[in-house]
Formats: sequence, structure tokens, C-alpha cells
Amino acid sequence: MDKVIELVKDRRLTYPQKRHELAAAAENSLPYLQVGRRVQELMDSGVLHDLGEGHAPYRPRYILPDYVKFIRQGSRHLDLPAPRDLYEAVNALLILYRNVPSVTGYPVYLGQIDDVLEGFIDTVSPAEAERLLRMFLVNIDRTLPDAFVHMNIGPRATAVGRLVLKLEGELKKAVPNLSLKFSEETPPEFARLAVTTALDTSKPYFVNHAELRRVFGGDDYGIASCYNSLKIGGGSFTLVRLNLKEAARGARDYDQFMADVLPEVVDAQAELINARIRFIVEEAGFFESSFLAQEGLIDRRKFTAMAGFFGLYEGVQAFSGGRRMGHDKGADEMALAIMGRAHDLVKMHKTAYGKVFGGLLGVHAQSGIDTDVDVTAGVRSRIGDEPALYDQIRLQSALQRHFDTGVNDIYIFEANARDNPDGVLRIVRGAMKNGMRIMALNTSDSELIRITGYLVKRCEVDRYFRGEPVREGTVKLGADSIKNNRTLERRVRAVREGDGQ
Amino acid sequence: MKATVNRIIEHSLIDGPGNRLVVFLQGCNLACNYCHNPETQRVCVDCGECVATCPAGALSLVDGRVVHDPGRCRSCDTCLKVCPHFSSPKYRLVDVNEVHARLLELQDFLDGVTVSGGECTLQHEFVAELFRRVKADTSLTTFIDTNGQMSQEALETLLPVTDGFMFDLKALDADKHTQLTGADNRVILENIARTSREGHLHEVRTVIVEGFTDDEAEITAIARLVKGLDGRTRLRLIPFRPNGVKTELARLPAFDRARYESLCLVAERELGGRVVRSR
Ligand code: SF4
Ligand code: SF4
Repeated sequence: MDKVIELVKDRRLTYPQKRHELAAAAENSLPYLQVGRRVQELMDSGVLHDLGEGHAPYRPRYILPDYVKFIRQGSRHLDLPAPRDLYEAVNALLILYRNVPSVTGYPVYLGQIDDVLEGFIDTVSPAEAERLLRMFLVNIDRTLPDAFVHMNIGPRATAVGRLVLKLEGELKKAVPNLSLKFSEETPPEFARLAVTTALDTSKPYFVNHAELRRVFGGDDYGIASCYNSLKIGGGSFTLVRLNLKEAARGARDYDQFMADVLPEVVDAQAELINARIRFIVEEAGFFESSFLAQEGLIDRRKFTAMAGFFGLYEGVQAFSGGRRMGHDKGADEMALAIMGRAHDLVKMHKTAYGKVFGGLLGVHAQSGIDTDVDVTAGVRSRIGDEPALYDQIRLQSALQRHFDTGVNDIYIFEANARDNPDGVLRIVRGAMKNGMRIMALNTSDSELIRITGYLVKRCEVDRYFRGEPVREGTVKLGADSIKNNRTLERRVRAVREGDGQ
Repeated sequence: MKATVNRIIEHSLIDGPGNRLVVFLQGCNLACNYCHNPETQRVCVDCGECVATCPAGALSLVDGRVVHDPGRCRSCDTCLKVCPHFSSPKYRLVDVNEVHARLLELQDFLDGVTVSGGECTLQHEFVAELFRRVKADTSLTTFIDTNGQMSQEALETLLPVTDGFMFDLKALDADKHTQLTGADNRVILENIARTSREGHLHEVRTVIVEGFTDDEAEITAIARLVKGLDGRTRLRLIPFRPNGVKTELARLPAFDRARYESLCLVAERELGGRVVRSR
């Protein structure tokens, strides 16, 4: 109960943050759900980690409601008829957002907003449409102050998509996170607008639509939270991550790691994942009490679960005598072999109650958390040790193939890259052609900093360091990450670099 | 076919449209006071002066010739600063096959290739051969960055295989041009006109230097010249910076930003959006 009174008295938390923390404290006063002894050991030693999802999970971690369906049918539970114009549509969405659960308490997915709203764009004048969308975005930023709140646009250009990019470029806020599904169908002029916006705000992500529609067997996937690709109308029950650096410690050598250690820890990871899923479905009865399920906005079968991996860079170092992936062919090959093996091992496990990916678990590049020290996010190169631009793109593209539920790499350019969005767009196209699934852009002087998958504003981080309460929960995470993970030291790509001599 | 190559940059957002690989060739036929890359001007005479100054032991004299070991080099550029002959111990002979092969490998990431210098048209056979082969095998565009002081023969060889030329025009006033570069600008102006008639003049570039090109009349005259050319041609105005400069101009401070902006406005009165400003 000490924890509870501490929270009650905490001066740094806003009221909603306090309430959220108190709910977590209540949940965590229960014993941890039942897991085997080996799983417990691996959690204790830091090989496996449930990302603080809680002892008794009562909702899926990530939910992607089918907002298109909602906008067509309205909601009985929310007493909303199907919207008839853009005013009603925006209002209905803002209401629904407040009722979409997730691990953070905020919706991690706001919808494929062009699909959702484009049908209403002619119900108002262009000026009204812009004002409405501006208010919509401002409302989202102020009422859902969490940078894991994620909106999608693309691949086609729409009036809504253009307005979102334009307004995001003007508003320059961390919320919402934004992804552009990018493909041959994306017109060059729209792609250029997206690059320009990204060089200013780090939004949107560029998502390889051709790759992901193949992975999901259709267009009905969304990018949620950090950069997690999941099925619309579903989501992910849970995410359990496996620390490759820690797991490597438990191995005698590389061969034994691949033959014995990795299979054993992935087995345990799957066991923990499935125990958590069963708790959500069977004990908490989430789908029985959720109006989203009752009204068909989500479907249990469209959920998957994520086996996350991180610390590949250090794992490779451990087995290669300190070689650095991206700079050494042998290290690159080892990185690819480890991830290939991890992928295959995950795919030997079924997802309890999940039918996505043939009912097998999803593979995810976990982006690290604020308290990680000396271990690199996902399959990225260590911050500050990124290789030459094209080497990085090629290695990351090859690694990203192993991830169906989210992976991302970040590219930061010098500020004057803004003068040449076409050049940056070419690099994005090249990356996609090489199989890169998701990439983020930014410039070195940007007011918005991409931490792992989410964004924070520099000035908000400064406020947090001064001890002031901050609106966005992610600011605290971001500030701690900057301290622990040298987030600000990512390699900056000069407008002229890469000595070919 | 080979050329003397000062360096190759594989990712550039500032040497023509889009993202480009840039080959800098060694050797120049002008000697501009404010040259930012004076180490590209001349051939190395193997005097050996740079050898002892290298902190990494990457330079040595072998049989009277200076040898550079790229494996040891830390790219500190000390050798470039000390070389009294406007040269570099680091340039090397590169075969056109090597550049071509690298372009094939990187073509997904590139809009094109730019050859710069030095004065790259001094080695125009190499440039033309590279461009011919690039055009045969890829959709990359071919650009040349030149001081404009090239022979008729060079220009005629390059025009059919080059998508865009970027010409320096150091000054329009012939005396100023001679003071700045050691040569008048007659040939350069002819070449600008010829290239423009062919529709291949992408850009004219002028550095604004105090005491030389910083008066309104000169900038207006240059802008009018560009205005009279093909409508696709842009005028890039670049404020002087002392970085790398090896002559007495090294003592000049960076050109005043406010004056730079006002001279850009002067040019924009003639050319509107065709003026490109530097940040
Ligand atoms: S740049 Fe020149 S001086 Fe510096 S390490 Fe290389 S060779 Fe030596
Ligand atoms: S680079 Fe310059 S200093 Fe060095 S040997 Fe050649 S001419 Fe002499």
C-alpha cells in the first residue's frame, strides 16, 4: 500500500496519469498470473519481460477497431447514429476514441483516417473541412496526450490525407503518431508533401504497403502505437519481449545459442504470451463485456500476439568478439542468421485464440523502453554506431523481412536536407525497393524527437527535467530514454557524405 | 579509361536534382581566389612536404613518389592544408568501370550522378564515357558541375550525354572575373549560351564576395543574363565563406547574411522563383 499512497501524493503526475497509475497499482497488488517456474526465472533474470503490462491483464494490449464499419453503422452502446456529414463524423470518432481500451488507457490506433472521413469531405466547404480537421487534430492532441496514439493515411492521395499532412506540418505536436502507407499508388506530389512534413516533424512514418499487404493478405492492416502492424478489427493481445543480449549470456557459444538456448527461451516466451492471452479471454472475459466486440468493431479472431526481440546488436557482439553489425560482413551475416532462427522458432508456436498469420505468433522488433541501459532497440544499430547510409538501409531491409508485427528504423538528416525533399524521397523509395518495411525520417534540428517509436517535444522534455508536471505521459518515458539511451546521439546524415574511396 | 579522382561522394543532396553520387576529378584550369577545394586544383609534384605532417602515418615517399594508405588515413585533411602546390596526396587513378559498377549497385537510391572537380571537363573523354554507359544501363540522370572554361571539343563531346550542366559564373564584369580567377570570362559566356540553346543549362552559380560581386549592378546584370536564357535555368547565389580558402581571401569573414538576402531580392526582381538561395 506504500506504492498507493506514494502515487496519491505524487506532485509530478497529472490527475489522469495518477488515476491510471492507481489502477495499475490495484491490478499489481494481485499475484502474477500463473506461469511455469522457468518462465518466472527468465523474467527475473531479464531475458523475458512483459513490459509492465500488469499482473492480471483485463484488456488486449493494442486494439484496432474497425472505424470504417463504425462510421457506417454508428454505435448502439454509445447511442450514436451513423454520421451524415463531416461534423457528425468527427464528433462520433472523438467519442469513440475515449472508449477504446489499450495498455496505456489511450487508443493506440485512430484509424485509416482517409478511408474513414474521405466520404464526408464534400458535405462541407473546403474551408470548413480544414477547420474541422484542425480541431479534430488539436482535440486528439489535448485529450489523448500520449504519443502512442497512432493515425494512418495512404497509399492513395486524398483530400483528408493532404489536410492531415498540411495541418500536422503546422501544428508540430507529438500526438498523434502518423503513418503513411506508401506504394506505387502514392502520387509523387503527395509523397513529396509527406517527406517535407517528415523532415519538419518526423511524421509520417513511411510504411511499405506492398510488403505489408502481402504479409496480411490484404489492405486491412493498420500501424498502431509505436510502429506495430496489426490487423484492423483486431490487434495484439500482448507483447512479451526477449532480450537477445541477456539470452546470449546464458549460452556457451554461438552454436549452442542457436541450437539450445534460443529455442528454449522462445518456448518460454510463447508460454508467457499464451498465459496472458488466456487470462484476458477466459478470466477477465474481455470480449464478453466489450461493446466493441458486441457491435462487431473488433473480432477476437483478428487478434494476434507479439513475440518481441531487442538487443540484436549486443547479441551479435557477444558471439563475434565485439564485431559491429553494419560495419562487418561476418557480423551482418550473424545478425541475419539469429533473426532468421528467432523468426522460425516463434512461428512454431500457436497464438491462443488468435487466427492471424495462420494462427501463429507475430514477430516484433521491440523498440526498447526508458529504463534500458546499454542494450539497443530492436534490430537497429547501436545509437552513434550507425554505418554508412546505404549499408544501413540494406542491412535493416534484410532484417526487417523477419518482422510481421512491427519494426522500424530511423534516419536523421542534416537540416538543409529540407531543401531537397526529392532526394530524400529517392532514398525512401530505394529503401522500400530493398524491402524496408517501416522507416522514420527526421532532421537534426527538429523540435520533435523520435525516441523509439513515439515522439516527444524537446521543450516538454526540458520541462520534465525541471520537475514540472507534463501533459503527455510519453514525455517522461522519452526524457528517461534520452538520459539512458543516448537518443540524441543518432548519426546525422550530412547533405554530402559517404566517401566512396 | 581512367581519370584522376579526388574523391567520390555516394550521397549528396546538394549537387543537382535529388540524391546523387558525385565524382570530384582532380585538376583545374582556373585559380579562383576563393576556391573552397584548392587541393583539387593541381597535380601532385611529389615534393613530399605533406608526408611528415600526417598524424596517422598514412603518407610515405616510395621511390620519390608520395603514397597514400587509405586504411590508415583518418581524413583529418592536414595534408590538404599544408600542401603548397594546391594539390592532394590522396587522389588516385580510377577506372570508369569502377564508378560505373558502383552506380549500378546504388542506382535504387540515386536520382543520378554528378561529375564535379576541380574542372571535370579537362577529362571530358572519361566523363563522356561514364555518362554514355550510365545512360545505356540505368535511368539515372547525368549532371556536370563546371567552371565553364572548357574547349569547344569538350562541350560538344559532353552535350549529347549530359542532362544538366551547372555553370559557375564568378563575375560578369570581365575585369572582376580576371581578378577573381586569373582568366577573362569570354569562353565561359559562350559556353553558357551554347549549353542553354541545347536546353541543358540547369543552373548558373555565383558566389557573392565582398569587393567583387557584392554590388547590385553586377547581380542585376547576372540575373538579366540568366533571364535571357532557357526558362529552366536557375540562378544560385552563394554567400562567400572562408572555409578551405588558401589565398589572402581566407582573411575575409563569411559574407554578411543581411546583405546576402538583400542581393537575393535584387536578383529575384529579375528572376522571381528561379533564384535559389543558400541557407
Ligand atoms: S587526411 Fe592526410 S594528413 Fe590526415 S590522416 Fe589522411 S593522409 Fe594523413
Ligand atoms: S600533395 Fe602537395 S605537399 Fe604532398 S607531395 Fe603532393 S604536392 Fe607535395
